[in-house]
Amino acid sequence: MRFPDPRALLATLLVLAAPAAWGGAEQVRAGILAELRERYPALSPADMAAGAAAFDAARLAQAQARQPAPGAAEAIAAGKRIWTHRFAKGRSLAGCFPNGGRRIAAAYPQYDRRVKRVVTLETAINQCLKTYGQPLLDPADPATMGAVLAYLRSLSEGQKVAIRVAGAAAEARFEDGRRLYFTRLGQRNYACASCHLRHAGSYFGDAALPPPVGSAVSWPWLREGHPVSLQVRIRECLERMGAAPFPAGSEELAQLEYFLAYLSNGLPLRPGAWRPADGPHM
Amino acid sequence: MMRARRLLLGAAALVLAAGTRAAPPDGRALFVRPDKGNCIACHQVPASAGPAVRSDVGPRLDAARLKGWGRARLREVIEDPMRANPDTVMPPYGRHRILDAAEIDRLVDYLHALP
Ligand code: HEC
Ligand code: HEC
Repeated sequence: MRFPDPRALLATLLVLAAPAAWGGAEQVRAGILAELRERYPALSPADMAAGAAAFDAARLAQAQARQPAPGAAEAIAAGKRIWTHRFAKGRSLAGCFPNGGRRIAAAYPQYDRRVKRVVTLETAINQCLKTYGQPLLDPADPATMGAVLAYLRSLSEGQKVAIRVAGAAAEARFEDGRRLYFTRLGQRNYACASCHLRHAGSYFGDAALPPPVGSAVSWPWLREGHPVSLQVRIRECLERMGAAPFPAGSEELAQLEYFLAYLSNGLPLRPGAWRPADGPHM
Repeated sequence: MMRARRLLLGAAALVLAAGTRAAPPDGRALFVRPDKGNCIACHQVPASAGPAVRSDVGPRLDAARLKGWGRARLREVIEDPMRANPDTVMPPYGRHRILDAAEIDRLVDYLHALP
Protein backbone atom coordinates (compact mmCIF):
# COMPACT_ATOMS: atom_id res chain seq x y z
CA MET A 1 0.00 0.00 0.00
CA ARG A 2 1.34 3.46 -0.85
CA PHE A 3 0.59 6.26 1.55
CA PRO A 4 0.40 9.95 0.77
CA ASP A 5 3.41 11.83 2.08
CA PRO A 6 2.11 13.67 5.16
CA ARG A 7 4.44 16.60 4.55
CA ALA A 8 2.88 17.18 1.14
CA LEU A 9 -0.57 17.11 2.72
CA LEU A 10 0.16 19.34 5.69
CA ALA A 11 -0.56 22.58 3.91
CA THR A 12 -4.06 21.55 2.91
CA LEU A 13 -5.14 19.74 6.06
CA LEU A 14 -7.42 21.00 8.75
CA VAL A 15 -6.02 21.65 12.16
CA LEU A 16 -8.14 20.11 14.91
CA ALA A 17 -9.63 22.30 17.57
CA ALA A 18 -6.45 23.22 19.39
CA PRO A 19 -5.47 25.90 21.88
CA ALA A 20 -6.35 28.91 19.76
CA ALA A 21 -4.10 31.54 21.24
CA TRP A 22 -0.41 30.67 21.15
CA GLY A 23 1.04 31.58 24.51
CA GLY A 24 4.23 29.58 24.55
CA ALA A 25 5.23 26.09 25.60
CA GLU A 26 4.46 26.54 29.29
CA GLN A 27 0.93 27.74 28.59
CA VAL A 28 0.29 24.84 26.22
CA ARG A 29 1.56 22.39 28.82
CA ALA A 30 -0.58 23.92 31.56
CA GLY A 31 -3.65 23.78 29.31
CA ILE A 32 -3.20 20.11 28.45
CA LEU A 33 -2.48 19.17 32.07
CA ALA A 34 -5.59 21.05 33.21
CA GLU A 35 -7.76 19.35 30.60
CA LEU A 36 -6.57 15.89 31.63
CA ARG A 37 -6.87 16.70 35.34
CA GLU A 38 -10.45 17.81 34.86
CA ARG A 39 -11.38 14.60 33.03
CA TYR A 40 -9.32 12.26 35.22
CA PRO A 41 -9.02 13.92 38.65
CA ALA A 42 -7.80 10.67 40.22
CA LEU A 43 -4.80 10.34 37.89
CA SER A 44 -1.57 12.26 38.45
CA PRO A 45 0.88 12.97 35.61
CA ALA A 46 3.17 10.29 37.08
CA ASP A 47 0.31 7.76 36.87
CA MET A 48 -0.13 8.64 33.20
CA ALA A 49 3.42 7.53 32.43
CA ALA A 50 2.05 3.98 32.67
CA GLY A 51 0.35 4.62 29.30
CA ALA A 52 -2.70 2.47 28.60
CA ALA A 53 -2.25 0.78 31.98
CA ALA A 54 -3.11 4.05 33.76
CA PHE A 55 -6.75 3.36 32.80
CA ASP A 56 -6.72 -0.42 32.96
CA ALA A 57 -6.19 -2.23 36.27
CA ALA A 58 -5.54 -5.61 34.62
CA ARG A 59 -2.90 -4.07 32.32
CA LEU A 60 -1.32 -2.31 35.28
CA ALA A 61 -1.03 -5.58 37.20
CA GLN A 62 0.53 -7.26 34.15
CA ALA A 63 3.04 -4.43 33.82
CA GLN A 64 3.92 -4.48 37.53
CA ALA A 65 4.56 -8.22 37.33
CA ARG A 66 7.01 -7.55 34.52
CA GLN A 67 9.45 -5.27 36.29
CA PRO A 68 12.15 -5.34 35.06
CA ALA A 69 10.69 -6.04 31.64
CA PRO A 70 11.84 -9.20 29.84
CA GLY A 71 14.69 -8.26 27.52
CA ALA A 72 15.58 -5.03 29.34
CA ALA A 73 18.81 -6.33 30.89
CA GLU A 74 19.96 -7.82 27.58
CA ALA A 75 19.22 -4.60 25.69
CA ILE A 76 21.10 -2.55 28.27
CA ALA A 77 24.10 -4.91 28.13
CA ALA A 78 24.14 -4.85 24.32
CA GLY A 79 23.88 -1.06 24.38
CA LYS A 80 26.75 -0.77 26.84
CA ARG A 81 28.97 -2.80 24.52
CA ILE A 82 28.25 -0.44 21.62
CA TRP A 83 28.59 2.61 23.88
CA THR A 84 32.03 1.65 25.17
CA HIS A 85 33.38 0.09 21.97
CA ARG A 86 36.56 1.90 20.94
CA PHE A 87 36.53 2.73 17.26
CA ALA A 88 39.69 4.72 16.53
CA LYS A 89 42.46 6.33 18.53
CA GLY A 90 40.78 5.23 21.74
CA ARG A 91 37.55 7.07 20.91
CA SER A 92 34.13 5.73 21.81
CA LEU A 93 30.54 6.98 22.02
CA ALA A 94 31.03 7.31 25.77
CA GLY A 95 33.85 9.80 25.14
CA CYS A 96 31.61 12.13 23.16
CA PHE A 97 29.32 12.92 26.09
CA PRO A 98 29.96 14.56 29.46
CA ASN A 99 30.42 12.02 32.26
CA GLY A 100 30.33 9.16 29.77
CA GLY A 101 26.63 9.93 29.24
CA ARG A 102 25.57 9.76 32.90
CA ARG A 103 22.59 11.96 33.83
CA ILE A 104 22.21 13.64 30.45
CA ALA A 105 19.17 11.89 28.93
CA ALA A 106 16.49 13.81 30.85
CA ALA A 107 17.50 17.02 29.04
CA TYR A 108 16.90 15.56 25.54
CA PRO A 109 15.64 16.48 23.05
CA GLN A 110 17.14 19.95 23.22
CA TYR A 111 17.20 22.92 20.91
CA ASP A 112 20.70 23.60 19.62
CA ARG A 113 21.23 27.27 18.72
CA ARG A 114 24.31 26.58 16.61
CA VAL A 115 22.67 24.12 14.21
CA LYS A 116 19.20 25.70 14.71
CA ARG A 117 17.64 22.27 15.15
CA VAL A 118 16.09 20.07 17.77
CA VAL A 119 18.68 17.46 18.73
CA THR A 120 17.39 14.11 19.96
CA LEU A 121 19.58 11.51 21.66
CA GLU A 122 19.62 9.66 18.33
CA THR A 123 20.89 12.76 16.50
CA ALA A 124 23.56 13.37 19.13
CA ILE A 125 24.75 9.75 18.97
CA ASN A 126 24.99 9.80 15.20
CA GLN A 127 26.72 13.19 15.26
CA CYS A 128 29.45 11.64 17.40
CA LEU A 129 29.82 8.67 15.05
CA LYS A 130 29.97 11.00 12.06
CA THR A 131 32.69 13.10 13.67
CA TYR A 132 34.87 10.00 13.92
CA GLY A 133 34.02 8.65 10.49
CA GLN A 134 32.05 5.71 11.86
CA PRO A 135 28.97 4.20 10.20
CA LEU A 136 25.79 5.76 11.62
CA LEU A 137 23.18 3.78 13.57
CA ASP A 138 19.70 3.39 12.10
CA PRO A 139 17.33 5.12 14.56
CA ALA A 140 14.69 2.49 13.70
CA ASP A 141 16.91 -0.53 14.54
CA PRO A 142 16.15 -2.03 17.98
CA ALA A 143 19.35 -4.12 18.04
CA THR A 144 21.75 -1.18 17.69
CA MET A 145 20.24 2.28 18.29
CA GLY A 146 17.46 0.79 20.42
CA ALA A 147 20.00 -0.95 22.66
CA VAL A 148 22.21 2.15 22.93
CA LEU A 149 19.18 4.20 23.95
CA ALA A 150 18.21 1.59 26.55
CA TYR A 151 21.70 1.82 28.08
CA LEU A 152 22.08 5.59 27.81
CA ARG A 153 18.66 6.29 29.32
CA SER A 154 19.30 3.75 32.08
CA LEU A 155 22.21 6.01 33.13
CA SER A 156 19.58 8.67 33.96
CA GLU A 157 17.13 6.46 35.84
CA GLY A 158 15.22 8.59 38.34
CA GLN A 159 16.40 11.94 36.93
CA LYS A 160 13.53 14.34 36.34
CA VAL A 161 12.64 15.16 32.74
CA ALA A 162 13.95 18.70 32.22
CA ILE A 163 13.31 19.91 28.68
CA ARG A 164 14.18 23.56 28.06
CA VAL A 165 12.19 25.63 25.62
CA ALA A 166 13.90 28.99 25.96
CA GLY A 167 13.90 31.78 23.41
CA ALA A 168 11.92 32.47 20.27
CA ALA A 169 13.67 29.90 18.08
CA ALA A 170 13.14 27.06 20.56
CA GLU A 171 9.52 28.13 21.07
CA ALA A 172 9.03 27.99 17.31
CA ARG A 173 10.27 24.38 17.14
CA PHE A 174 8.02 23.42 20.07
CA GLU A 175 5.13 25.04 18.21
CA ASP A 176 6.03 23.01 15.09
CA GLY A 177 5.74 19.86 17.19
CA ARG A 178 2.48 20.96 18.76
CA ARG A 179 1.00 21.78 15.38
CA LEU A 180 1.98 18.38 13.99
CA TYR A 181 0.35 16.73 16.99
CA PHE A 182 -2.95 18.49 16.36
CA THR A 183 -3.01 18.18 12.55
CA ARG A 184 -5.00 15.51 10.77
CA LEU A 185 -2.61 13.37 8.75
CA GLY A 186 -2.98 10.49 6.35
CA GLN A 187 -5.76 8.52 4.79
CA ARG A 188 -7.66 7.86 8.03
CA ASN A 189 -7.73 11.55 8.82
CA TYR A 190 -6.68 11.27 12.47
CA ALA A 191 -4.48 13.70 14.33
CA CYS A 192 -2.35 12.32 17.16
CA ALA A 193 -4.58 14.42 19.42
CA SER A 194 -7.76 12.73 18.07
CA CYS A 195 -6.81 9.55 19.87
CA HIS A 196 -4.36 10.55 22.57
CA LEU A 197 -5.92 13.76 23.88
CA ARG A 198 -9.54 13.96 22.74
CA HIS A 199 -10.09 10.29 23.55
CA ALA A 200 -7.37 9.72 26.15
CA GLY A 201 -8.48 6.84 28.33
CA SER A 202 -11.13 5.60 25.88
CA TYR A 203 -10.66 2.14 24.48
CA PHE A 204 -9.45 1.79 20.90
CA GLY A 205 -10.00 -1.94 20.45
CA ASP A 206 -8.62 -3.49 23.62
CA ALA A 207 -6.17 -0.70 24.44
CA ALA A 208 -6.97 2.36 26.51
CA LEU A 209 -5.51 5.35 24.66
CA PRO A 210 -2.45 6.72 26.50
CA PRO A 211 -2.43 10.51 27.11
CA PRO A 212 0.43 12.72 25.87
CA VAL A 213 1.52 13.57 29.41
CA GLY A 214 4.03 11.00 30.69
CA SER A 215 4.77 9.41 27.32
CA ALA A 216 8.43 10.55 27.33
CA VAL A 217 9.21 8.89 30.68
CA SER A 218 9.50 5.16 30.25
CA TRP A 219 10.89 4.58 26.75
CA PRO A 220 12.51 2.62 25.31
CA TRP A 221 9.62 0.36 26.12
CA LEU A 222 10.27 -3.37 25.93
CA ARG A 223 7.87 -5.11 23.61
CA GLU A 224 8.30 -8.82 23.07
CA GLY A 225 11.83 -8.37 24.40
CA HIS A 226 12.82 -5.57 22.00
CA PRO A 227 13.44 -1.92 22.86
CA VAL A 228 11.00 0.52 21.21
CA SER A 229 12.02 4.18 21.17
CA LEU A 230 9.61 7.10 21.30
CA GLN A 231 10.42 7.81 17.64
CA VAL A 232 9.76 4.25 16.58
CA ARG A 233 6.42 4.24 18.42
CA ILE A 234 5.40 7.51 16.75
CA ARG A 235 6.28 6.07 13.33
CA GLU A 236 4.09 3.03 14.05
CA CYS A 237 1.15 5.26 14.95
CA LEU A 238 1.67 7.30 11.76
CA GLU A 239 1.59 4.15 9.68
CA ARG A 240 -1.69 3.14 11.28
CA MET A 241 -3.07 6.58 10.55
CA GLY A 242 -2.51 5.77 6.87
CA ALA A 243 0.32 8.29 6.58
CA ALA A 244 3.83 7.70 5.27
CA PRO A 245 5.80 7.93 8.54
CA PHE A 246 8.24 10.82 8.72
CA PRO A 247 11.68 9.28 8.14
CA ALA A 248 13.55 7.99 11.17
CA GLY A 249 15.80 10.81 12.34
CA SER A 250 13.72 13.51 10.60
CA GLU A 251 13.15 17.02 11.96
CA GLU A 252 9.41 16.37 12.15
CA LEU A 253 9.89 13.45 14.53
CA ALA A 254 12.36 15.49 16.57
CA GLN A 255 9.82 18.31 16.87
CA LEU A 256 7.02 15.93 17.89
CA GLU A 257 9.36 14.43 20.45
CA TYR A 258 10.35 17.91 21.74
CA PHE A 259 6.67 18.74 22.24
CA LEU A 260 5.86 15.41 23.95
CA ALA A 261 8.95 15.38 26.14
CA TYR A 262 8.20 18.90 27.40
CA LEU A 263 4.79 17.65 28.56
CA SER A 264 6.63 15.13 30.79
CA ASN A 265 8.78 17.75 32.53
CA GLY A 266 9.29 17.06 36.23
CA LEU A 267 8.51 13.34 36.01
CA PRO A 268 11.31 10.92 36.92
CA LEU A 269 12.79 8.91 34.04
CA ARG A 270 11.86 5.21 34.28
CA PRO A 271 13.17 3.72 31.03
CA GLY A 272 12.62 0.10 30.05
CA ALA A 273 8.94 -0.36 30.91
CA TRP A 274 7.06 -3.36 29.56
CA ARG A 275 4.45 -2.90 26.85
CA PRO A 276 2.40 -5.67 25.20
CA ALA A 277 2.33 -6.28 21.46
CA ASP A 278 -0.34 -4.18 19.74
CA GLY A 279 -3.72 -5.84 19.42
CA PRO A 280 -5.27 -6.67 16.03
CA HIS A 281 -7.20 -3.39 15.81
CA MET A 282 -4.35 -1.02 16.46
CA MET B 1 -9.75 -45.10 -13.34
CA MET B 2 -10.53 -42.65 -16.18
CA ARG B 3 -13.59 -41.54 -14.29
CA ALA B 4 -11.69 -40.96 -11.09
CA ARG B 5 -9.13 -38.91 -12.97
CA ARG B 6 -11.81 -36.80 -14.57
CA LEU B 7 -13.38 -36.20 -11.16
CA LEU B 8 -10.03 -35.16 -9.73
CA LEU B 9 -9.41 -32.74 -12.58
CA GLY B 10 -12.89 -31.36 -12.15
CA ALA B 11 -12.32 -30.82 -8.44
CA ALA B 12 -9.01 -29.10 -9.14
CA ALA B 13 -10.71 -26.77 -11.62
CA LEU B 14 -13.34 -25.85 -9.05
CA VAL B 15 -10.67 -25.08 -6.45
CA LEU B 16 -8.84 -22.87 -8.99
CA ALA B 17 -12.04 -21.05 -9.90
CA ALA B 18 -12.83 -20.42 -6.25
CA GLY B 19 -9.30 -19.08 -5.76
CA THR B 20 -9.46 -16.58 -8.60
CA ARG B 21 -13.04 -15.41 -8.10
CA ALA B 22 -12.95 -14.48 -4.42
CA ALA B 23 -16.29 -13.15 -3.20
CA PRO B 24 -16.20 -9.48 -2.08
CA PRO B 25 -15.86 -9.30 1.70
CA ASP B 26 -19.20 -9.15 3.50
CA GLY B 27 -20.26 -6.28 5.73
CA ARG B 28 -19.16 -7.93 8.94
CA ALA B 29 -15.66 -8.56 7.56
CA LEU B 30 -15.44 -4.95 6.35
CA PHE B 31 -16.53 -3.76 9.80
CA VAL B 32 -13.80 -5.77 11.51
CA ARG B 33 -10.80 -5.84 9.16
CA PRO B 34 -8.02 -3.42 10.25
CA ASP B 35 -7.15 -2.68 6.60
CA LYS B 36 -10.81 -1.88 5.76
CA GLY B 37 -13.29 -0.23 8.15
CA ASN B 38 -11.65 -1.23 11.42
CA CYS B 39 -14.93 0.12 12.80
CA ILE B 40 -14.69 -2.41 15.64
CA ALA B 41 -11.75 -0.42 17.08
CA CYS B 42 -14.20 2.35 18.03
CA HIS B 43 -17.67 0.75 18.12
CA GLN B 44 -19.02 -2.25 20.00
CA VAL B 45 -21.79 -4.30 18.37
CA PRO B 46 -24.12 -6.97 19.82
CA ALA B 47 -22.36 -10.26 20.56
CA SER B 48 -23.80 -12.21 17.61
CA ALA B 49 -22.76 -9.49 15.13
CA GLY B 50 -19.05 -9.23 15.86
CA PRO B 51 -16.14 -9.93 18.21
CA ALA B 52 -16.24 -8.80 21.83
CA VAL B 53 -14.07 -5.70 22.31
CA ARG B 54 -13.80 -2.93 24.88
CA SER B 55 -13.91 -0.17 22.25
CA ASP B 56 -15.75 2.98 23.31
CA VAL B 57 -14.35 5.83 21.22
CA GLY B 58 -17.65 5.83 19.30
CA PRO B 59 -21.17 4.84 20.45
CA ARG B 60 -22.19 1.19 20.67
CA LEU B 61 -24.11 0.30 17.47
CA ASP B 62 -27.26 -1.79 17.58
CA ALA B 63 -30.74 -1.94 16.09
CA ALA B 64 -32.25 0.32 18.74
CA ARG B 65 -29.66 3.01 18.12
CA LEU B 66 -29.96 2.93 14.33
CA LYS B 67 -33.74 2.55 14.24
CA GLY B 68 -35.14 4.86 11.61
CA TRP B 69 -31.80 5.64 9.93
CA GLY B 70 -32.42 5.27 6.17
CA ARG B 71 -29.82 3.93 3.72
CA ALA B 72 -28.92 7.41 2.48
CA ARG B 73 -28.23 8.72 5.97
CA LEU B 74 -26.08 5.71 6.93
CA ARG B 75 -24.20 5.89 3.64
CA GLU B 76 -23.48 9.56 4.29
CA VAL B 77 -22.17 8.91 7.80
CA ILE B 78 -19.69 6.37 6.44
CA GLU B 79 -18.81 8.43 3.33
CA ASP B 80 -17.92 11.51 5.32
CA PRO B 81 -18.94 11.90 8.97
CA MET B 82 -17.29 15.34 9.00
CA ARG B 83 -20.25 16.72 7.06
CA ALA B 84 -22.45 16.26 10.12
CA ASN B 85 -19.67 16.90 12.65
CA PRO B 86 -16.49 18.64 11.45
CA ASP B 87 -14.76 17.68 14.72
CA THR B 88 -15.44 13.95 14.56
CA VAL B 89 -12.57 11.48 14.81
CA MET B 90 -14.38 8.90 12.65
CA PRO B 91 -12.55 8.53 9.29
CA PRO B 92 -14.21 9.78 6.06
CA TYR B 93 -14.25 6.37 4.41
CA GLY B 94 -15.71 7.46 1.07
CA ARG B 95 -14.10 10.88 0.71
CA HIS B 96 -10.65 9.48 1.52
CA ARG B 97 -11.18 6.36 -0.61
CA ILE B 98 -10.63 3.92 2.21
CA LEU B 99 -13.75 2.04 1.05
CA ASP B 100 -15.45 2.07 -2.36
CA ALA B 101 -19.18 2.59 -2.95
CA ALA B 102 -19.94 -1.16 -3.08
CA GLU B 103 -18.13 -1.73 0.21
CA ILE B 104 -20.02 1.12 1.85
CA ASP B 105 -23.27 -0.49 0.62
CA ARG B 106 -22.25 -3.79 2.25
CA LEU B 107 -21.65 -1.92 5.53
CA VAL B 108 -25.07 -0.28 5.33
CA ASP B 109 -26.62 -3.77 4.89
CA TYR B 110 -24.65 -4.96 7.90
CA LEU B 111 -25.74 -2.01 10.08
CA HIS B 112 -29.38 -2.52 9.06
CA ALA B 113 -29.20 -6.18 10.02
CA LEU B 114 -27.77 -5.54 13.51
CA PRO B 115 -29.85 -7.15 16.25
C1 HEC C 1 -6.06 5.79 15.83
C2 HEC C 1 -5.54 5.99 17.13
C3 HEC C 1 -4.14 6.56 17.29
C4 HEC C 1 -3.56 7.63 16.65
C5 HEC C 1 -4.17 8.55 15.62
C6 HEC C 1 -2.22 7.75 17.20
N1 HEC C 1 -2.00 6.79 18.12
FE1 HEC C 1 -0.36 6.63 19.32
N2 HEC C 1 -1.13 4.93 20.15
C7 HEC C 1 -2.37 4.38 19.85
C8 HEC C 1 -2.52 3.13 20.55
C9 HEC C 1 -3.72 2.19 20.49
C10 HEC C 1 -1.31 2.95 21.29
C11 HEC C 1 -0.90 1.74 22.12
C12 HEC C 1 -1.56 1.71 23.45
C13 HEC C 1 -1.10 0.45 24.15
O1 HEC C 1 -1.73 -0.58 24.00
O2 HEC C 1 -0.09 0.52 24.85
C14 HEC C 1 -0.49 4.11 21.02
C15 HEC C 1 0.75 4.37 21.64
C16 HEC C 1 1.44 5.55 21.53
C17 HEC C 1 2.58 5.93 22.35
C18 HEC C 1 3.17 5.09 23.48
C19 HEC C 1 2.60 5.51 24.82
C20 HEC C 1 2.93 4.55 25.93
O3 HEC C 1 3.19 5.01 27.05
O4 HEC C 1 2.89 3.34 25.71
C21 HEC C 1 3.00 7.15 21.91
C22 HEC C 1 4.14 7.98 22.47
C23 HEC C 1 2.13 7.54 20.82
N3 HEC C 1 1.20 6.56 20.62
C24 HEC C 1 2.25 8.73 20.12
C25 HEC C 1 1.46 9.05 19.01
C26 HEC C 1 1.71 10.17 18.13
C27 HEC C 1 2.82 11.19 18.30
C28 HEC C 1 0.75 10.14 17.16
C29 HEC C 1 0.58 10.98 15.94
C30 HEC C 1 1.70 11.08 15.06
C31 HEC C 1 -0.13 9.02 17.48
N4 HEC C 1 0.36 8.37 18.57
C32 HEC C 1 -1.29 8.72 16.80
C33 HEC C 1 -3.34 4.94 19.04
C34 HEC C 1 -3.14 6.03 18.21
C1 HEC D 1 -11.78 6.39 15.28
C2 HEC D 1 -13.09 6.05 15.76
C3 HEC D 1 -14.15 5.56 14.81
C4 HEC D 1 -14.08 4.65 13.80
C5 HEC D 1 -12.85 3.87 13.32
C6 HEC D 1 -15.42 4.51 13.27
N1 HEC D 1 -16.27 5.33 13.96
FE1 HEC D 1 -18.29 5.47 13.66
N2 HEC D 1 -18.37 6.97 15.08
C7 HEC D 1 -17.33 7.39 15.85
C8 HEC D 1 -17.79 8.44 16.73
C9 HEC D 1 -16.94 9.18 17.76
C10 HEC D 1 -19.15 8.64 16.45
C11 HEC D 1 -20.10 9.64 17.14
C12 HEC D 1 -20.55 10.73 16.22
C13 HEC D 1 -19.48 11.68 15.75
O1 HEC D 1 -18.37 11.77 16.29
O2 HEC D 1 -19.75 12.39 14.76
C14 HEC D 1 -19.49 7.67 15.41
C15 HEC D 1 -20.76 7.52 14.87
C16 HEC D 1 -21.13 6.49 14.01
C17 HEC D 1 -22.49 6.23 13.59
C18 HEC D 1 -23.69 7.00 14.03
C19 HEC D 1 -24.23 6.35 15.25
C20 HEC D 1 -24.87 7.30 16.19
O3 HEC D 1 -25.68 6.81 16.95
O4 HEC D 1 -24.53 8.49 16.19
C21 HEC D 1 -22.46 5.14 12.76
C22 HEC D 1 -23.64 4.47 12.08
C23 HEC D 1 -21.07 4.74 12.64
N3 HEC D 1 -20.30 5.58 13.43
C24 HEC D 1 -20.62 3.69 11.89
C25 HEC D 1 -19.28 3.39 11.67
C26 HEC D 1 -18.79 2.45 10.69
C27 HEC D 1 -19.66 1.59 9.79
C28 HEC D 1 -17.43 2.48 10.74
C29 HEC D 1 -16.41 1.77 9.89
C30 HEC D 1 -16.62 1.72 8.47
C31 HEC D 1 -17.07 3.41 11.81
N4 HEC D 1 -18.22 3.95 12.33
C32 HEC D 1 -15.76 3.69 12.21
C33 HEC D 1 -16.03 6.90 15.83
C34 HEC D 1 -15.55 5.98 14.91
